[in-house]
Amino acid sequence: MKTLKMLRLSLAMLLLSSLATACSGNNANNAGAETNSKPDSTNSANAGTEEVKMDKVTYTIFNGVAGSKDGNTNETTIGKMLEDQTGTNFKLEFLVGDLNTKIGTMIAANEYPDVLIPDAAIEEVLNAGAFIPLDDLIEKYGPNIKRVYGDDLDQMRSADGKLYFLPMSAQVGDFVPDPEPTAAFWVQRRVLEEAGYPKIKTLDQYMELIENYAAKHKDEGLTGMVSLTHDWRFFATANPPMHLLGYPNDGNVMVDPATLEATTYSGSDGAKQWLQALNTLNSKGMFDKASFVDNYDQYIAKLTSHKVLGFFDYRWQVQTALNVLKDAARKDPSLDGYNYFPLPVTFDESIADAYVDGPGGLVTNRGVGITVSAKNPERIIQYFDNMLKEENQILITWGIKGETYEVNEEGRYYRTQEQINKIDEAFNEKFGFKYYSWNWPSYGNNSTLSDGNARGVGYQPEVFQMSLTDKDKEILGKYDAQTYTQMFAKPIDRPWYPAWGFVKEQNSPELMWETNKDELTKKYYPKLVLSSPDKFDSIWSDFQKEWGKLDTAGYEKWTTEQVKKKVDMGK
Amino acid sequence: MEKRNRIRTSRGDRVFEICNFIFMILLMIVTLYPFINILAVSLNDAQDSIKGGIYLFPRALTLDNYQYVFKEATIFHATLISILRTVIGTVVTVLGSAMVAYTISRQDYVLRKFITIAFILTMYFNGGLIPNYLLMRDMNLVGSFWVYILPGLIGVFNLIIIRSFIENLPESILESGKIDGAGDFKTFISIVLPLTMPVLATVALFSGVYQWNSWFDVFLYNSSKINLSTLQYELQKILQNSTATAGTSSMDGMINGANGSQQGAVTPLSIRATMTIVASVPIIMVYPFLQKYFVKGMMVGGVKG
Amino acid sequence: MNTKTILATPEIKTDQKPAGLRLFLTKLVKQRVLVFMSVPFLIWLFIFKYLPLWGWTIAFQDYRPALGFWDQKWIGFSHFKFLFGDERFLRVLRNTLAMSSINLILGFLTAIVLALLLNEIRQVAFKRIVQTVSYLPHFISWVVAASIIQTTLSPDGIINQLLIWAGFIDKGQEFLFLGIPHFFWGIFGASSVWKDIGWNTIVYLAAMTTIDPSQYEAAEMDGAGRFKRMFYITLPGIKSVVVVLLIMNIGYLLESGFEPQYLLGNGMNVDYSENIDIFVLKYGIAQSNFSLSIAAGMFKTIVSFILLFVANSVAKRAGESRLF
Repeated sequence: MKTLKMLRLSLAMLLLSSLATACSGNNANNAGAETNSKPDSTNSANAGTEEVKMDKVTYTIFNGVAGSKDGNTNETTIGKMLEDQTGTNFKLEFLVGDLNTKIGTMIAANEYPDVLIPDAAIEEVLNAGAFIPLDDLIEKYGPNIKRVYGDDLDQMRSADGKLYFLPMSAQVGDFVPDPEPTAAFWVQRRVLEEAGYPKIKTLDQYMELIENYAAKHKDEGLTGMVSLTHDWRFFATANPPMHLLGYPNDGNVMVDPATLEATTYSGSDGAKQWLQALNTLNSKGMFDKASFVDNYDQYIAKLTSHKVLGFFDYRWQVQTALNVLKDAARKDPSLDGYNYFPLPVTFDESIADAYVDGPGGLVTNRGVGITVSAKNPERIIQYFDNMLKEENQILITWGIKGETYEVNEEGRYYRTQEQINKIDEAFNEKFGFKYYSWNWPSYGNNSTLSDGNARGVGYQPEVFQMSLTDKDKEILGKYDAQTYTQMFAKPIDRPWYPAWGFVKEQNSPELMWETNKDELTKKYYPKLVLSSPDKFDSIWSDFQKEWGKLDTAGYEKWTTEQVKKKVDMGK
Repeated sequence: MEKRNRIRTSRGDRVFEICNFIFMILLMIVTLYPFINILAVSLNDAQDSIKGGIYLFPRALTLDNYQYVFKEATIFHATLISILRTVIGTVVTVLGSAMVAYTISRQDYVLRKFITIAFILTMYFNGGLIPNYLLMRDMNLVGSFWVYILPGLIGVFNLIIIRSFIENLPESILESGKIDGAGDFKTFISIVLPLTMPVLATVALFSGVYQWNSWFDVFLYNSSKINLSTLQYELQKILQNSTATAGTSSMDGMINGANGSQQGAVTPLSIRATMTIVASVPIIMVYPFLQKYFVKGMMVGGVKG
Repeated sequence: MNTKTILATPEIKTDQKPAGLRLFLTKLVKQRVLVFMSVPFLIWLFIFKYLPLWGWTIAFQDYRPALGFWDQKWIGFSHFKFLFGDERFLRVLRNTLAMSSINLILGFLTAIVLALLLNEIRQVAFKRIVQTVSYLPHFISWVVAASIIQTTLSPDGIINQLLIWAGFIDKGQEFLFLGIPHFFWGIFGASSVWKDIGWNTIVYLAAMTTIDPSQYEAAEMDGAGRFKRMFYITLPGIKSVVVVLLIMNIGYLLESGFEPQYLLGNGMNVDYSENIDIFVLKYGIAQSNFSLSIAAGMFKTIVSFILLFVANSVAKRAGESRLF
C-alpha cells in the first residue's frame, strides 16, 4: 500500500509539474507539503488548550440520514442555548448521495468528521475502527447518559466488550402509546358512515364493506382498493399477511412471543389468503390493476383523488396524502367523508391485531459515535450528556415556556392555537426543532418526563385532543374511543422488536435470501392478484416451486437465534 | 444559403416540405410537452400537486416553490462556482482536446497510433470509485476547485470527434499553412482552430453541459466545502431536504403538536420540477448562441481566406 | 522548422524496421512541437485513467474498505463465478444486449434522419427553433422523465385515451403498458429516442457544415432532386463521423444504461427490464459488495475491447474511416 502510494504521489508531482501551464504553481506546492499530515482545521481553535470548559469549539458531524440542510447548530435558538451551556457548537453535514459511497471513501481515506452517524453503514465503520471507545468518557463525564440508557448500554457492546456508539434513543418513564396506529387497513369515512359505523375486525368484513359501497355507487368510477408496490416500497403490498395474522412489523418474519420462534410468511398460507382476497376483488373489477406499475407519486395522487375506498399501508408512507385530505376537510367539512379511517383488520376475530407499536427493544444497529479524528472527545460526550438533562429534553421537543408551549395549573404542558399556527416548517428550522428532532442521543418518543408530561408533544393526550376536529371526535365517539389507538388491541411487550433491525453481514446468506425473496414476490404477487381466479392455484404452485428453492429454513433459524439473543440481553 | 432560396421548387419538393413541416411540428409538441408540464408543476402549489393531474397549466398558481429554492443564500455563490467550472472546464477541455486531436490527425506523427489507442481504451474501463478517490486525495485535489477540472481535462469522445473533423478538412487548406512556413503550433492556432469552429462549438456544448450538470464530484470530494459547492449540488441538497421532510412529516407533526397545517409545505415532486427548471434554463440558453457556428458553413470562411 | 520535409513524406513506415529506433528518435526530435502538444496530456491520461486500474484487484478480493491493500482477503475468481454462474445471468445479458442494440440502431437512425430533415429546412429561424426545442428533453433527469412516461402510459394516460378515442379498445380494456413484459424494450427504445434525439443530431449538424455548398449547387445544375442530394452529398459528407461514432458505440454494447430500466422496471416486466447494471446493484452494491460490481465492470471492459477491435477492423477492411 505504501509503495503504491509513493508511486501515485511521485506521478502526481510529475503531472503537476508538466501541467504547470494549466494549473497554478501554488497548487502544486501544496500537493507536496500537505499530503502526509492532514490536520483537521475545523477544531484547530481548540488544539492547544486543555480543558477550559467554556472555550468555544466547533465539531463536525456527518449525518448518514438525509434530514435537513447543512449548517451550524448555534444558528438555531435551541443550538445557541446549548452552546451557551457547553461552549460547543456542531457543524452539521447531511448525506446527499449514496450512503455506502460516502462512508466507503471516508474509510478508504481514513478521514472522518468528528462525530459520525453512519446509519445503515455502521458495521463497516465499526470494522474500520473509526470509532473510539466511550466507556471511560461516559464514566467520567456522562451521569445523564448513564441515567437515561442504564443497562441498555450493555446491549450495545462490541465483541471486545467496549462501547463504540450510543443508541439514538431510550425509553424513559412510563410508556405513552402513539395516539395513532403505525399501520392499518384504511377506509374512507363516507363508507363507514353509509354502513352505519359497523365494527370491522376481519378482512372479509373489510372487503364486504368496500364492495357494498362500490355496488351502491356504480357510476362514480370508484376503485375498491389500491396497493403500493413501487420499488423498495413493495413491502406495503407484501407485509399484510403478517399483520392479518396478528403480528407487528418484524420485517420478513413473525415471531411467536411464547416460543420466540421466527417464521417467514411470504410463501405461507397467510400470504395465499391475502393474495386470493385481492384476486377476488380484482375479478370483480374493484382492485386497481395499475397498482403494480404506478410509482409512489401516482399512488399518493390516487389516495387524494377521492376515488379510492380503501388501502393498506403504514402511516408514514401515506401521511402526505392524509394531510392533504385533512386540510381540505378542515376548510370544507363536507369533504370529511374522503378522509381515511384506520381499522384493526385481521384474518379472524379471534386474532388480536398488532398495529400499534408497543415498547420494543433497543435499536442496536443505529447510533452515533465519536471518531478517531475528534480532538478532546470529552467535550462531545459532555454535550451529549447535557442534552440528556430533562430540561434540555423539554427544550428540544416542547421548546421554551411562554413561547412554544404553556403549562396549566395542574402542571400539564400544552400549546395554544396561536403557538400551533406559528410552528411551521420555517419555524422548525430557525428554532432548531428540525436539527434536534432526530439522530441525537435522546429520550425515546414514547417517554414520559418526571413530572408526568409526555416527552413528545404529539403524544400528550391534551395536545392530541386539540388536534381533532368535531367530525373526528364524532366518529371516534361511535366506536367509544378518544384516540385512534384505542380502536386497536393494546400492544404487548416484544423485547426483540423490531426484528428487521438485526444486523446482517455483507454478502451473508441472510441478505441473499432477502434479495431473492424480494425478487420472487415482486414477480409472482402481481401475477397472482391479476390472474383470472381459476388460474390462481396453478400460479400459486409455480410460485411455491420457486419459493422452495430458497433456504428459508436457514433464514428462520438465523433469525430465531438473533431473537433469542436479543431477548436474553434485554433481561 | 441565399442562393438555394432561388432554386425552383417542384411539386414533389412542395409535398416534401409540407410533410417535413408537419413532422417538425409534431416533434416539437412531443419534446416541448415535458418541459411545459414540469414548468406547470413548478408553478403550482406543492400540496395541490400531490393530487396529480397537472398537464399544461398550473392549477393553483404560486411562486412558493421558487421562493423555497432561492431562499437559501448559498445558492447564489454555488451558481457562481457552477459558472466558473463550466467556463474554465469548457475552455480547457476544448483547447486541450483540439490540440491533441490535431497531433493525432497528423498521419506522419510517430506517436499517433499509440496516443490514439491509449486514449480510446480509457473509454471502456474505470478503476472504480475508491481508487479514484484515493488518487484525488493523494494529489491533494480533494477540497479544491481543480477537482472539477483536472479529471475531465480531455474527453475522449470529444477528442475523436475533433480529430474526424480535422481529417475531413481539405488537404490543400492545411498545406497552405505549411507553404507559408508556419510551424505545427502556429498551423494549429491560425488554421486548424478557426476552421474547426463548428465542431469546437459542439464539443464546447457537450462539455459545458457536462460541467454544468455535474454534482457527483462535488458530493464525493467537496461536500463539506460550502464555498466550492455548485448549483446542482445545492439543488440536490434542497431536494433531499424536502424528501426527508415529506418522509418524517408525521414525526414532525407529532413533535410539534400534530395540528400544524401542511399548507405551503414543499414536496419532492414540486422541488424536483422546480430544480429542473432552475438548473436547465441557463444552460439551454447557451445553445441558440452556439447555433450560428452550425449554420454558417466553415467552408465559406475557409475558401475566402 | 522542418515540417515541410515531413509533410513531403507522409507515407513513411520505416519505423517498423529493425533499425527503426534511431529513425524513430530522429523523427521524434523533428516532431518535438507535436510531442509537446500531446505528451503532457498522455501523462495526464496515464495518471488519471490508468493508475486507478489497480482497483481491479478488488474483483479478486473479499473487499473491505477498512483494510489496507495487503490485508484484503484474496478469494480468486469467486465473484466472477457468482456472476456467470447465476441462472439469471443469461437473461440479464440478453436484456442488456437487446436494449443497447435497440438504443444504438434507433439512436443513430433517428438522429441522422432528423439531422437530414433539419438540413432541408430553409427558414433559418424555424430550423433553430426546432433544433432548440427538440433537444430540451435531454435536460430532464431520468427521474423526472420516467415519471412523465409512467403517467403517459398509465391506464388513464393519454396513450390509452387516444386508443379509446380512435376506437382500438373499449373503456375498461386499457393497456397496462409497463406491466406487459415484452413491451418493455419498445418503451425503453422510444423513451430514449424521445429524450436524446435532438441532442444526438447536434454532432451531425456540425458535420454537415464541412460540406462544400458548391457541391449542392453543382448537383442542382445536374438536375439532382432533393433526395439525390441527400444521398449523394449530405450523407457521404457526414459518413466519416457516423462511422467513427458507430465504432465507438459498438464498444459500448454492454452498457445499456441504468436509470431508465431501474425507474421504469417493476415486478411485472422484470424479465425484460433487468440488465447487468441492475443485477449488480441488487446483488452487489445493495449488499455493500463492491467487488461484484468491479468484476462485472472488468467483464464489460473485456467484451468492449473485443467488440471495438472487431468493429474497427471491419471498417478498415471496408475501406471506411476508422477509429484508430
